[in-house]
Amino acid sequence: MTSGSNPAEAVESSVLADGTYDVVITGTGLTECILSGLLSKRGFKVLHIDRNPYYGGACASLDLQQMWKKFCLSGSIPEELGSAREYNIDLIPKFILATGKLVRILVYTGATRYLDFKLVDGSFVHTGDRPHRVPSTPMDALRSSLFSLLEKNRCRQFFGFVQSYDPEQVTQRGPDPRTMTMRALYDYFGLQETTRTLIGHAIALYTNDAYLEWPALPTIERIKVYAQSVARYGSSPYIYPMYGLGELPQAFARLSAVHGGVYMLRTDVETILTDTETGRVCGIRTPDGREARCRFVVGDPSYFPDLVHRVGRIIRCYCILRAAPAHIREASSCQVIVLHRAVAAERRNDIYVLVLNSAHRVAAPDRYIALVSTVMETADAEQEIEAGLAILGGEANILARFLTVDDVFEPIHDGRECGIFVSRSYDATTHFESTTEDVLDLYRRIVGEELMFDDKPV
Amino acid sequence: MQRPLVALKIVLVGNSAVGKSSLLLRFAEGTFAELPATVGVDFRVISLENVQGYRVKLTCWDTAGQEKFRTLTSSYYRGAHGVIMVYGIDDPESLKHLETAWLEEARRYVNNPNAVYMIVGNKSDLPTAVVPRADGRRLAERVGALFLETSAKSGSGVSECFVELVARILEAQPHVTGDGEQAGVQLEAGPYHETASCLC
Repeated sequence: MTSGSNPAEAVESSVLADGTYDVVITGTGLTECILSGLLSKRGFKVLHIDRNPYYGGACASLDLQQMWKKFCLSGSIPEELGSAREYNIDLIPKFILATGKLVRILVYTGATRYLDFKLVDGSFVHTGDRPHRVPSTPMDALRSSLFSLLEKNRCRQFFGFVQSYDPEQVTQRGPDPRTMTMRALYDYFGLQETTRTLIGHAIALYTNDAYLEWPALPTIERIKVYAQSVARYGSSPYIYPMYGLGELPQAFARLSAVHGGVYMLRTDVETILTDTETGRVCGIRTPDGREARCRFVVGDPSYFPDLVHRVGRIIRCYCILRAAPAHIREASSCQVIVLHRAVAAERRNDIYVLVLNSAHRVAAPDRYIALVSTVMETADAEQEIEAGLAILGGEANILARFLTVDDVFEPIHDGRECGIFVSRSYDATTHFESTTEDVLDLYRRIVGEELMFDDKPV
Repeated sequence: MQRPLVALKIVLVGNSAVGKSSLLLRFAEGTFAELPATVGVDFRVISLENVQGYRVKLTCWDTAGQEKFRTLTSSYYRGAHGVIMVYGIDDPESLKHLETAWLEEARRYVNNPNAVYMIVGNKSDLPTAVVPRADGRRLAERVGALFLETSAKSGSGVSECFVELVARILEAQPHVTGDGEQAGVQLEAGPYHETASCLC
């Protein structure tokens, strides 16, 4: 046990915690907590603080009392919702791809020992009529009711090509995804427009069509990750932690603490201290005048409003449902992607609906939660997510709902010159691949080298 | 016939420097001989061969320093069958904090109505106790917890503390038998499971 001052004494001192660190990390969102764990594990002395009294920052999971508070609702929580404590509503709704990069980091760091995961039951795509299971293998393509007979065969050939494609062993025959665009690859297989949308949005999980003009290889890799993830456990490519996504940052915080990282909640930053000679960061000061010295500062955008710019907005709607929505009753947890084309001709971004219940310990028994989100395209958030809410079984099935529009920020510089490394806001994708890429990129910029995973297959 | 196996989770809480890690070290060392020096202790798994006819696999979680600024995570407490709340008999504040801080936090996050709480006054080897034994006992009676004084240094009371707690847990919740493995998905094969003691 580290001996040290108790909290009452620390307040009177002008030194924050031990006073000198390699890194001060601000905000306990997932990105910051993974970095904290990785840096502590590597031997950095880490001080990790958050202005909130709870872990998770923007990606915390809240119970109903916390939701009522966040959305400034007066009045008591309706009894029909059940026990308020049993809810864990993710502010950033996402699932975890079973063979994605986050799982590799969880296994590499051993943070899995603090978590219990359960499979998500289903992955659906809504093309306008009803939700269909998402096909991802040549066999699925033949069985799926989404394709016409001729298209089934073209689709089977496409999935066959993707499955056997290995960038390390390229033969001269056939299309080359390294040089051609994804649009050209679709053309090569003669796939219909609706099939392209299905593949790009429900399998490669792009939120819009920009990827069509990019080289095809990254898309091929995304399709492979999806198919491998489905193959890993069965009914869907996703896993999800018991008690909600808020468990993830906590697990990495614990990992960091085990390796010497120091945690302080209810602690804000007032000033970032810079060395006047070098112009580099040299510490932080809290509102009550305590200071910690450090070589780097890492944090989420909310701590550095001057160092980020807004790149978009995301609508998120958290709903509590009386019962499972129709058509997806066989799945107690699932993802439904409502394709942009099924919403409106001019819409570019899909609407994502994640459904969960008490099987994952995120809702009271018998109740469901549905998390609806999309990239904001107009000024009318309510109207934009209507098509997502429409599949939840009507107003009578929605017992409560909370709507929010979140700004999405990106850092204006890469931080190498000043030593301040700012993470990106969580994006609209339904999984953690981009978050994990941000973590690995920040790690590279801070440490100066790549994170070397044990590359054992997971 | 082999005795049935029970897997139990125990968490330690209490102010810094009251001797939580030393207590755990003393108890574990009686079972396992060698323990390398560590930055932080994650948890230790200790096997008890016979408590009321059961074999017990005890996973004892240490705070990893997160008690210092009261930043333990809710998942630390989750699923705990027993909570050991430690104060130092040389430190009146540490006893006061058990009631004003640690008990409340544990009750909030231990999602097991049958969990057993134990209050432990550590450092009983010190010749002059600042905190009278009766104070610790009174708090234990008031909150419905077990009570013991221990010395991690001399070893006095340490194994009694764990064995007594396990015995009461087995009485309080007769349905805990099983190896305690979750039905959830396993992300990796083997290396992080069933390690005798995890020292990172």
